[in-house]
Amino acid sequence: MRVVVQFSGLRRRGTLTPLHASPLTVIAVGCAIVSASILVGYLVLRPAWTRGTKTALFLGLGVFPITAAMAGNVEGFEGTKKREFCGACHVMALHREDSDDGTSTSLSARHARNKLFGDENCYACHADYGMFGTVLTKMGGMRHVWLYYTEYRTTPMAEAKEKIHLLQPFPNENCTQCHSTDPMLWQKVPDHRASLQDLRADRISCASAGCHGYAHPNFRPHPAESTTPAPRGAP
Amino acid sequence: MTLPPPTRLMTAACVLALAALALIVWSLFDPRPVPVIAAMSVGQVLGTLSFGAFLLVVVRDLRAEYMRVDAASKGAKHGTRQEP
Repeated sequence: MRVVVQFSGLRRRGTLTPLHASPLTVIAVGCAIVSASILVGYLVLRPAWTRGTKTALFLGLGVFPITAAMAGNVEGFEGTKKREFCGACHVMALHREDSDDGTSTSLSARHARNKLFGDENCYACHADYGMFGTVLTKMGGMRHVWLYYTEYRTTPMAEAKEKIHLLQPFPNENCTQCHSTDPMLWQKVPDHRASLQDLRADRISCASAGCHGYAHPNFRPHPAESTTPAPRGAP
Repeated sequence: MTLPPPTRLMTAACVLALAALALIVWSLFDPRPVPVIAAMSVGQVLGTLSFGAFLLVVVRDLRAEYMRVDAASKGAKHGTRQEP
């Protein structure tokens, strides 16, 4: 169970961003404070090199920082799954705003309103679900960060909308992780039945103009896909 | 290779650890890509280096202590032999 307590806000670029205090954050910050106190105390007081000093430094340089790093890493890793994190780069702002919009009928917004996806809807749909999926997803994310800081950081939104597109066509496997193609209910739909083989072979996309519509209202499909504009809120 | 004196190593270890802790705390309070990546990469390296420096000082200290005890025991043995 994940307990999240909003205890204050942080003003950033004119907007109030809530600061989440999960138990891991509290542990990491607590350990960092204790460790920093020990280290600053050592640097200021310069005590004799006794067994007590060594024990205190073992705690201040080993036990507490390692605990802080472990808790911080887990928290950081979980933080990278959040929509707030993905939308931190301005070129993703439109996608984030659409997902945040409670009235939007786009695929991404509807998934964001689903409890199973919630504020991790970007990650849930774009993650690689293969054996090394988590690592590959994170590597892809690193590539995004690299591209952002080397190419798109100063790109105006109007230009970014035209230039940025998916590296590869969106795999249907990501949809069928949840929306299995096996149940009778799914196969009752004539279009589903007719396109089953093509869908499983990724020859057609669930999130395309002719089927359920593109996931994002400002989506630019992969060049290999159709360039037909997406109908907003297509079923 | 001559290692720096223990006091300097310990100062470096403390400063490195404080920098690593600062990066970790920054990533927790500002979970954007750069702080998170910095904490999980640079922060880890700095933290590991600082703990390594501490261990180096402790190992050196133990070795010096062992050699001192060893020399003392050898001296004591020599002293016994020289007795008539």
